[in-house]
Amino acid sequence: MKPITMKALLAGSVALLLSAAPAAAAAPISEFDGKSLAAIRSAHAGKPFVLAFWSVHCEPCREELAQLGAVARRHPDVPIILVAADPPRDRAAVTRILGSYDLRGVQQWAYADDFEERIRYAVDPAWRGELPRTYLYDSRHQPEGHTGAALPALLDPWIARQMLVLKAPSKN
Amino acid sequence: MFVRPGRAFFAWITPRLVSRTAVMAGLCVAATLFAQAPAAPANAVAGVPATASASPAAPAPDSAVAAATGGSAAPASPAAGENAVHDHAAHKGGGMAGMARDQMGASAAFDSRGSAWMAAVEDGRVTVRRSGDLGHSWSAPMPVHQAPEPVEADGDARPKIAVGAAGELYVTWTRPLANPYTGFIRFARSEDGGKTWSPPITVHRDRQEITHRFDSLTVGRDGRIFVAWIDKRDGQIAKAKHENYSGAALYYAVSGDGGRSFQGDYRVADHSCECCRIALLPRPDGTVTALWRHVFDPDIRDHALAQLHADGRADGFRRATFDGWAIDACPHHGPSLAVDGHGQLHAVWFDLGPDHPGATYGRLRDGAVDGLRHIGGVSAEHPDIAASAQHVAVAWKEFDGERTQLLAMVSNDAGVSWHDMKLASTAAASDQPRLLEREGRFYVFWNTRENPRMMVPLP
Repeated sequence: MKPITMKALLAGSVALLLSAAPAAAAAPISEFDGKSLAAIRSAHAGKPFVLAFWSVHCEPCREELAQLGAVARRHPDVPIILVAADPPRDRAAVTRILGSYDLRGVQQWAYADDFEERIRYAVDPAWRGELPRTYLYDSRHQPEGHTGAALPALLDPWIARQMLVLKAPSKN
Repeated sequence: MFVRPGRAFFAWITPRLVSRTAVMAGLCVAATLFAQAPAAPANAVAGVPATASASPAAPAPDSAVAAATGGSAAPASPAAGENAVHDHAAHKGGGMAGMARDQMGASAAFDSRGSAWMAAVEDGRVTVRRSGDLGHSWSAPMPVHQAPEPVEADGDARPKIAVGAAGELYVTWTRPLANPYTGFIRFARSEDGGKTWSPPITVHRDRQEITHRFDSLTVGRDGRIFVAWIDKRDGQIAKAKHENYSGAALYYAVSGDGGRSFQGDYRVADHSCECCRIALLPRPDGTVTALWRHVFDPDIRDHALAQLHADGRADGFRRATFDGWAIDACPHHGPSLAVDGHGQLHAVWFDLGPDHPGATYGRLRDGAVDGLRHIGGVSAEHPDIAASAQHVAVAWKEFDGERTQLLAMVSNDAGVSWHDMKLASTAAASDQPRLLEREGRFYVFWNTRENPRMMVPLP
């Protein structure tokens, strides 16, 4: 239930920047609650990011976990935020499953409590909890929802487009 | 290590982006087409008992009977180390207050004398409680099995309870095994109101450590017990041949002796969805109608119906809903089915097809759905349905930004016109609601963190 501090978010970003270095230990799992998305958005203001939800109960999510780390390391400038939509009682399972994939470069979060409707609503009121579920936030933080595994075929071209937008001279 | 879904068609995700509400129509363009995969058998209704060739690792065919009568047939490796998915308090020493909360998935049923019964998971065991006052108060929990074993009670998985004509209690649950997404369907019965229970048995003969999960339980009109479940044995066979196999399969077993033994491993259909509850509805002729989320080619997760006979024949397979939800995901959001006094089938389900995404009601008939109706608001979820004579009731939950509301809609003209009502709300975690019917009245059973084992009568 700990509130997410700015410091934690910045630490996550630093970890992301350093992600080329092998992770000595499993990345810490931050607590994702109804206020976390707002904190993540403000930590990445003006920048695109990927917000990906999975669960220990979701079989189709495994294919995504297997490939997400490589995507993150190919695109260190676009944060990939991976959230386990599982209550605290499943935390050991979350840790174990995450540990079985190479997710260096991916920020790891898990639901802070078991009132999951409230957490989900803060992300997207229309999301009924189907997984895997991914939101692609562009630099203006307009989210695009995607149900089904977020595989490189989806993420790589989207990230490439975001980087082009970021590098394009401002028209203002 | 972990079994990864070895399904080549995951690779198809198109790079096309989809708006946050218009999910997926046409996104999952058939991987199988791109992959030039051999066509899977089209939604076959086998209707024949699975043979040894269909389950190479299955032990002798009478093992289920042996387990039922002797209670000594050891199930396959109990959950250990890797069974991380289903950790709960009992496996970490229990009693660590606040460290791990029990899963909330629960079921309830009335007996013929008006007592309500519920099954849940408490302290690592399946438990049953009785209420003689329509859910105002409940007995202390009565453990169904002595030795703790892991039990799935999250999302669409939960212990089930059904009551026989003479008050016999039947309970099923899914016991997860060591590998993720594997499990055995377990059964126990009590003839003394839950005080003592038969040793749990495994309902299916196939004992591979694969998916046998999402048990569903009902008692047929002649007292036979039907148990259906999601089964991946056929997917395993396809995998061994390097063939694609969409989803899982729907299997069932039948007991004609009050749950002492089960005959079965009868296949209803190939290509069910992997993680949605199965609706079972007993019919006057002793058969049971099943409604489940199916995988229609190429990857359309609409629903299918079939008729399960006590002798293992499953016929009448047909598509029941036509939403065209193309998705490869894990909705944990299965359908519910009821029949009115004229034999008309009423169903509720969830889909994110292009036309009416969300929780949906409709009357099922051959090749079409009548009276289609969107249930509740944009966050409505987990609808359940019951019917009696010309009365039909639907209950669901819906988060409004502050609280989770328990809502219902009722029709007194067999589903033509409806009126909505608010029943309760909670500001903490809650289970899916379940609708019960007794003597023409409807009750919603709702297990919430704030108010466990709530039973709300519909006005």
